Amino acid sequence: MLIFDQVAIMTIDKLQEVFRKVFDKNDLVISADTSAKDIKSWDSLTHLELIASVEETFNVKFSFSEVMQFNTVGDMIRTIEKNTGNK
Amino acid sequence: MNFNSPEFLLFLLGVVAVNYFLPQRFRSIFLLIASAVFIGYYNFESLLTVLISSAFNFYISRKVSGNRLLYISGVILNSYAIIMFNYFFAAKHGFHFSYTVITFNINSFIIALGLSFYSLQNISYLTEVYFKRWQPESSIKNYVLYNTFFPRIMSGPVMTPGEFLLQIDRNIISSDKLISGFNRFLLGLLKKMVIADRLAPAVHSVFDFGDTYSGLTTLLGVYLFTIQLYFDFSGYTDMAIGIGRMLGYDLKENFNFPLRSSSVSEFWRRWHISLISWFTNYIYYPLVYKFRVYKKAAALFGILVTFLVSGIWHGIGYTFLLWAVCHIIYLSFELLTKNFRSRVSEKYNNLFFKLLFIFLVFNAVCFSNIFFRSQSLVRAFHIIKGVFNNFLPNGRIDLVAPLAIGGHQIDEFNFYISMLLMTMFLLFERRIMRFGSGRTLNAAYIIICFLLIFLFGIINSGERFIYMQF
Repeated sequence: MLIFDQVAIMTIDKLQEVFRKVFDKNDLVISADTSAKDIKSWDSLTHLELIASVEETFNVKFSFSEVMQFNTVGDMIRTIEKNTGNK
Repeated sequence: MNFNSPEFLLFLLGVVAVNYFLPQRFRSIFLLIASAVFIGYYNFESLLTVLISSAFNFYISRKVSGNRLLYISGVILNSYAIIMFNYFFAAKHGFHFSYTVITFNINSFIIALGLSFYSLQNISYLTEVYFKRWQPESSIKNYVLYNTFFPRIMSGPVMTPGEFLLQIDRNIISSDKLISGFNRFLLGLLKKMVIADRLAPAVHSVFDFGDTYSGLTTLLGVYLFTIQLYFDFSGYTDMAIGIGRMLGYDLKENFNFPLRSSSVSEFWRRWHISLISWFTNYIYYPLVYKFRVYKKAAALFGILVTFLVSGIWHGIGYTFLLWAVCHIIYLSFELLTKNFRSRVSEKYNNLFFKLLFIFLVFNAVCFSNIFFRSQSLVRAFHIIKGVFNNFLPNGRIDLVAPLAIGGHQIDEFNFYISMLLMTMFLLFERRIMRFGSGRTLNAAYIIICFLLIFLFGIINSGERFIYMQF
């Protein structure tokens, strides 16, 4: 459980860097509950740019249906962990 | 038989009453018959087309799962139907059409009512089944009802199979639904008859006569068209949602106060929501997903293709193409400046800047709608030039005369009434909407609506809705 938590924290830290870079906002803080409603620039026009940057950073490939089901950062973390074999 | 015609109101009363008292298991077949009567009353060609299209898609969907060739053929045939429909519409309105050997003797305004809308539903259904996200529907009756359901047939809202088919055998009609449906229908009737149809003559005067007016008059006419379109189409949608609710169905929302948007991307999240979410889910996302490694370039390409397709969906011709180009430019600009604009809006987060951005977006949308409304490119450019020509009028009469046409004379008083009603509605839109979605019978709301409709509404045999042509 402790290991999973640490992995999740590392994932969210790395994700936060990606979010800051894509949305060009150095003070952006995200949590597992963060959704498009919380970040003004996160909409359908930028969603896949964000996804491509996440894929690059974590060296994973998401399927189309996975991408369509990302509603929160938490969904993203779960899929990353599933794809990288950390869960 | 439009929603605002006297014969429709009688038809609706009968259908709602019978449907309410019927046992649940007979309701879908009854609604199917009622929908067939509604469409057949419009014209026989429309009924035949929707039945053939539904049967065709129902049968190929049984074999389409994982069958790429069949899926692509189905998508092409449905898309071809939309394009043909638009060609026929264009042909009937002055374009030369020479790609068919079939000739029809069509007297009505529309050849195949709602074809562009239900063809999109057919494509989404085949896509969902092909990718195994949806099981093929086992009942042809339910599938035909999905396409023919009379509150939606004229102009949507476009719904995916998951949003509609699941409701067919599970719908419950409560007194809550009857009342809120009635309130919503009444709101739509008010928007259509008291605001949209009252603005129609002023818009007609600026867009269709080809005369030269003062720049300010032309600009007002251009603004009024966007407002007319909004009240016409959202009024239709309110009526469709209201009727759906009275029959036990929840239809998709299509508008969310779009004229209050402070960016064009926000506008497209609030205007014709069911259509734009269809385009987003079935064109934009799959395309950008495929090319996502190119990041912003992929998104720009997605915007380009999505809006070009949207332009063709609305109609064949250069006017719709230029309307689409306007939105491609707006959205591309917004995408490229998104982070910068986000920082600016955080810094200047006050009412003045909010109103300024709303005004700018409204102007951008109105500009694109010049092409949307004009009969030809020549006429559209004439109007654009007209805005900058002699901007200030020579006095009040010069300003309002072309807009305040009442038969063969100037009906200035009625024009001011129209402006007042429109302004009041726009200012208090959210509050009015609360009454329109109310679950209780509010005597004041009902009396005021009826009074406004009888005192100021355009009452005739039922003006058709602008979006019926698409």
